[in-house]
Amino acid sequence: MVLGTEDATPVTFWFAVSPGASVQLDDLVVVQTRKPDGVPVRFYGIVDSVRTRHEGVTFDSDVQDVVAGLLPASVSYAARVLVTRVNPENFIPPQPGDEVRHARGDDLHMALSADKMKDAAFPGGLLADGQVLPLNYRFVNGENGGHINISGISGVATKTSYALFLLHSIFRSGVMGTRAHAGRALIFNVKGEDLLFLDQPNREVQATEDGVRAAKNLPRGRYDLLGLPMTPFRDVQFLAPPRPGGLGGGVILPNVEQRSSGVTPFVFSLREFCTGRMLPYAFADRDASLNLGFVIGSIEDRLSRLAQGDDAPYLTVEDWKPDTDVILDENVRFGELGEARIETFAQLVSYLEYKLLEENEGEGDRRWVGKQSPATLQAFIRRLRGVQKHLSPLIRGDLSAEQTRLFRPDILREGVQTSVVDIHKLGSHAQMFVVGVLLRDLFEYKERMGRKDTVFVVLDELNKYAPREGDSPIKDVLLDIAERGRSLGIILIGAQQTASEVERRIVSNAAIRVVGRLDLAEAERPEYRFLPQSFRARAGILQPGTMLVSQPDVPNPVLVNYPFPAWATRWDEVAGEVGQQVEDAGKDWLGL
Amino acid sequence: MRIRLDPWPVDTFDGQLTLSPFAGLVFNAEMDRWAALPTRGVPERVRRVLVVDGKPRMEARLLLDDEAGTLSVAGFGAFVVGAVDLCPHGTRRAELQGVAARRVLAYSGDARLEAARLSPRNPHSGRLEYDPHPFSGAQVEGARSKIQRLMLDAEQQMSADLASPLPLDETDPDALPDTLVLQDGPVRIGEAGRAVVGYVKTLHTDYLGADRIGLLTELKPGERTPILRFTLGDRGEGGEGGREQRFTWYVRLCEAPFYQHPLAGVMRLEMHAPEDSEFVPRGVQDIADLSGALLCRLASQPHKDPRAPQNLIPTAALEQAMGRAMGSPELVTRRIRAHLAQEYGRAVGA
Repeated sequence: MVLGTEDATPVTFWFAVSPGASVQLDDLVVVQTRKPDGVPVRFYGIVDSVRTRHEGVTFDSDVQDVVAGLLPASVSYAARVLVTRVNPENFIPPQPGDEVRHARGDDLHMALSADKMKDAAFPGGLLADGQVLPLNYRFVNGENGGHINISGISGVATKTSYALFLLHSIFRSGVMGTRAHAGRALIFNVKGEDLLFLDQPNREVQATEDGVRAAKNLPRGRYDLLGLPMTPFRDVQFLAPPRPGGLGGGVILPNVEQRSSGVTPFVFSLREFCTGRMLPYAFADRDASLNLGFVIGSIEDRLSRLAQGDDAPYLTVEDWKPDTDVILDENVRFGELGEARIETFAQLVSYLEYKLLEENEGEGDRRWVGKQSPATLQAFIRRLRGVQKHLSPLIRGDLSAEQTRLFRPDILREGVQTSVVDIHKLGSHAQMFVVGVLLRDLFEYKERMGRKDTVFVVLDELNKYAPREGDSPIKDVLLDIAERGRSLGIILIGAQQTASEVERRIVSNAAIRVVGRLDLAEAERPEYRFLPQSFRARAGILQPGTMLVSQPDVPNPVLVNYPFPAWATRWDEVAGEVGQQVEDAGKDWLGL
Repeated sequence: MRIRLDPWPVDTFDGQLTLSPFAGLVFNAEMDRWAALPTRGVPERVRRVLVVDGKPRMEARLLLDDEAGTLSVAGFGAFVVGAVDLCPHGTRRAELQGVAARRVLAYSGDARLEAARLSPRNPHSGRLEYDPHPFSGAQVEGARSKIQRLMLDAEQQMSADLASPLPLDETDPDALPDTLVLQDGPVRIGEAGRAVVGYVKTLHTDYLGADRIGLLTELKPGERTPILRFTLGDRGEGGEGGREQRFTWYVRLCEAPFYQHPLAGVMRLEMHAPEDSEFVPRGVQDIADLSGALLCRLASQPHKDPRAPQNLIPTAALEQAMGRAMGSPELVTRRIRAHLAQEYGRAVGA
């Protein structure tokens, strides 16, 4: 019953729990009150605080007398409710004495606004009592809103797992309807090789889920309750950068350790680098100076022009002799005789250095230099040299056209729903480069094609790619996605340890916000004001596998748990014999 | 000169300072030796102790004015009686029993009054229902006395209902009952034969006399005096007798601090005595033997209760519960006003 000793308001009220009943945090409840004219008003809410205390006693030490059986006292068990919905919308207060009940069935749907979602609901996890939390897909796919943002401490917050669970749910719950096959996901793997086994069933999932089911006394398994298949992802391609150095002879091997097959290496050709105007993405900190920006812009332009008109992976230039001798082989084409071939990123940097700083006795080629001071140009070359080591394995001119085509990262390849791009082994600059280039390409592609098929981009460590301070080309791309991607059908499922360090516009554009375990100091920052105080305090003690989910339809966040991944996240979780033959693996690498 | 502190708060009526001597005769009932007796603990067979108390309250004084122009007085009031049910060995939680307010419309005169029902504006806050009870006489305080009387009757009824019968036999070894009632104040007339112990918190009457009272200051906590017997209402005129007889003994609950009155922490207990018998029934003796242990266990702490230790822990809780059961006096007064205005407003206006 609603308490009469605490204020009952249309947004929050306390109620007393009857003897024998039990209420815990996050329980959804419903209370009905009547207006004087007899019209019922129902309040739906979520329990955000529960407490017991002795009532009728004055002193803290009275508990000893109560336990000793001398002092009669009753235990007051009360819970506070944050109202999530009032129906009809008459914001009168509930009356003390109104009966409060657990919301179940239709009431639960009302409490979570599932009735507004209708067929656009997909499961976002399980509530504490095993009921399903519906999420509104229209706030994910860009129709009413888009993007998902997940915050939490590394390791215990399980941000990536929840992002993958949401993807699994979106793809397999049927919420996409007939377009399910057209939805795609691009996942960047930034830590370990966790995500390289997405297509493999998890050996431990059955046992773990059975254990949870028994422990929580659920009527069915959690996947069953959610209506999701307990299967790994389908139609996945794995892309990984090549091993530095490789095996020679043009063999490109993916730089992964645990997974021996099914991973495709990806490289960019030098020509793509130039025509695709990827140069800016090699500079993570463009804000260093305005002049440097001009240089990057003009060189980008120059390179693009230089690379026009041919499709070989390498570049050819007439006006420069590299220090190393070019070995003439049978691949040399007639038209290139007498020209220098640029086959590596290092050579490209050397060529730029020559054009900017050495040609014409240090004056540089005037068309390339473009009135910039030598200091700026030197800074440009210095920075380029700095990233050369990281980018060399990725940007290649020494491959055949065939290989280039094969190893070009194509996340929209036919028959592939989910692409995992492994960048965890790359240096920070190379990571930025890959993420920036791939997202830019995706964005431009979707700009041409429209929002027809939704692409989900999963990217952790947003604070690295789109920090609050500073400016970078990748941040621009991410901002574009955050602000316009929703109408283009690119949905960012972003995650970060600390939302306070991520560009505000990216976080604020996310319609669905999720919080895992948070550092308590972080939880007090304004980015988390969408969590009521009691939830912020609780964010510090959330266990792995538990998230606070806030969505536009429900004004208060809801605590959910989600099942153990059905896909392997480590080599030793892979079910069955995956140890494929080494030869097969080799063939795979070679693209045979 | 030495200053001693009255242990009772100053707002308590008549503190523990002086004693007026008992006029009648007091006999040694248990033994001739006058010395402190240690407690023997609470035997296992006593499973239930009930602390019974009651509380009256006057809520409004009324002037009735009938058609003939006769004036009479009346009053709205309420009383509660209740009990705390506890196990002296602490095997279970103490529980309140029967703490429910009864409301009374006490009036003088012959006119029959209807029960007054005071309905609230908010349907959740309950209605007050005053049952009419006439009293004789026309004094202004009659209504208050009537309510007090009703409360005492109800208290006595409750004690009688709850207590086990107590055979007043000299030797019966199984005389000790399993349920014992502790009742605030002296035992009442007509309660004989039940295991009801009255406890008197403040000592006003000296049953001991100057030669014996010294023992009270020497008692250690838990110790008691031997049992005495006296006749109720004995004014020393002799022969009158007739009225009921009582056993009584004193128990010390705590060490009196040196600066307090020497009788601080001493309680007088009282039970019915069979008519003109020389012996102390076994049951009464057993109860006296356990009383020290039981009361020391129930005694309150001075930092929690200004009337400690005599105002027992369950009693204080019971008083609080009873006060609450009667509701807020301000709200009740407001309800009474609203009720009267509603009842007679129209008539006055017309």
